[in-house]
Amino acid sequence: MTADLATMQRAIADLLARGAPVGSDPESASLATQLAAGNDRLSAAEQVDVYRQQYFLRHLDALREDFLTLEHALGDAPFETLGRAYLQAFPPRSFSLRDLGVDLPRFVAERAPWSEDPLLADLARVEWAFVEAFDAPDAPALDLATVAAVPEDAWPSARLVLQPSVQRLALAHPAHEARSAVRSGDASAASGTTRPSPAPTYVVVFRGPARLQCIAVEADAYALLDELARGTALGDACERVATASGARTASFEEKVGAWFEEWTALGWLSRVERD
Amino acid sequence: MDWFEVISENFMVGGGRPLDNLARLRDGYRVVPHGVSLAIGSVEPLDLSYLARLSVLVDRIDPPWVSDHLCWGRAPGVHLHDLLPLPYTAEAVSLVVERVKRVQGTLERPFALENVSSYMTYRASAMSEWDFVAEVAERADCGILLDCNNVHVSAKNHGFDAERYIDAIPAGRVVQIHLAGHTDKGAYLLDTHSDHVSDEVWSLYRRALERCGPVATLIEWDDAIPAWEILAAEADRARAIRREMLCGLAP
Repeated sequence: MTADLATMQRAIADLLARGAPVGSDPESASLATQLAAGNDRLSAAEQVDVYRQQYFLRHLDALREDFLTLEHALGDAPFETLGRAYLQAFPPRSFSLRDLGVDLPRFVAERAPWSEDPLLADLARVEWAFVEAFDAPDAPALDLATVAAVPEDAWPSARLVLQPSVQRLALAHPAHEARSAVRSGDASAASGTTRPSPAPTYVVVFRGPARLQCIAVEADAYALLDELARGTALGDACERVATASGARTASFEEKVGAWFEEWTALGWLSRVERD
Repeated sequence: MDWFEVISENFMVGGGRPLDNLARLRDGYRVVPHGVSLAIGSVEPLDLSYLARLSVLVDRIDPPWVSDHLCWGRAPGVHLHDLLPLPYTAEAVSLVVERVKRVQGTLERPFALENVSSYMTYRASAMSEWDFVAEVAERADCGILLDCNNVHVSAKNHGFDAERYIDAIPAGRVVQIHLAGHTDKGAYLLDTHSDHVSDEVWSLYRRALERCGPVATLIEWDDAIPAWEILAAEADRARAIRREMLCGLAP
């Protein structure tokens, strides 16, 4: 009796995700022989294995493309080991290869041995932020006329909405500098003696008018952006960040004014929401 | 160039450069979306969120037809991102026909399925690939995107007659033809879209035009992409063969 379609598809999907060639494992080879016919050039196991090889090639290539700096930091073979372990733990679930690496930063941060080197998670997070910023939805930028139309007393309760492409990262290393160097052709920038040293780093990755950009920001600016992204009203957001940083009110207000000017110019702000 | 095909999934995104590029392309050319992830032959339920996003793209492009592949690629808990062949069985025909009707109902556009290159055959298959493609198209009332390179690759891999395949396809259902290059891996041919169209595939193209008439033709070259002039020369060659075979009938 032949298997039904559902059984066949489940069995083949299972064979494709196995690390070893189908023919190298008697149980896999036997299963392949029940499903595939084979021919005089390729056995049933070899026929199925063509697809298994492609499964890994395709997905590892996609991960390499999105996490180039991480690959350079680890080296080719260790990156492939990481990629295979990741695919085992997080099989692709999205229709789009674009989403393949969504869990890789968390995987690298939590799973040994990669979790033992915190730079790796930072590199993965920076790379993924660029993926997210690349095709995030478009939204109109906040213009000065809109800002001017908001009454002074409405600002404390107003919520400032960030552009969807604005990705905020708190890192333990200046991993964005390594990414920039690697992507510009310096293959050694994330490894060996040139690897970034630990240093608290805050960056924003965003889509500018012409290209993706990454800008380092102060810790307080990062904290304020984070509050805004969570939907905190402007007054509460400023108060929380000022309290946490111990900043004097007058100097903090001055800094906030400068930040908003800069963020508006960079197009990070999309709109003002008022109750 | 006369028209372009885009991989649907690359443009089913929120914004940014992909959609900017698509808008620029549409300013000058007719564009047709060609999907790789619909998984029309998967037993898993149709992904309705995927279909919704595809509908948005189709509305954005306003194409004359939409296409994807006659294959499966999803299983419980995993998207394989491959175009796996189906066993040529009555069960598979019924599954695909029912799903194509749902897709057509959702997209409200002519829909075509492409024959895929394959590297395995199933013990369960009870008919030829060309009979399978024809039966699906007839019963689902959908179009066929006839990929001549895929016919050649599968014919070599499985030892069937590629010309017999072309001759058996219901000509009136063919809405588009694909031409592409492949790679010889020794024991099998691999559909790679990374090289010139082979002489055998040009020959199948002539035969397909003879049967199908002035059908839109597209060169697929999306890996190891050559200089524009090389790609343009390949398209010129396809145009010349069209003119020759159709005796001036085609625009």
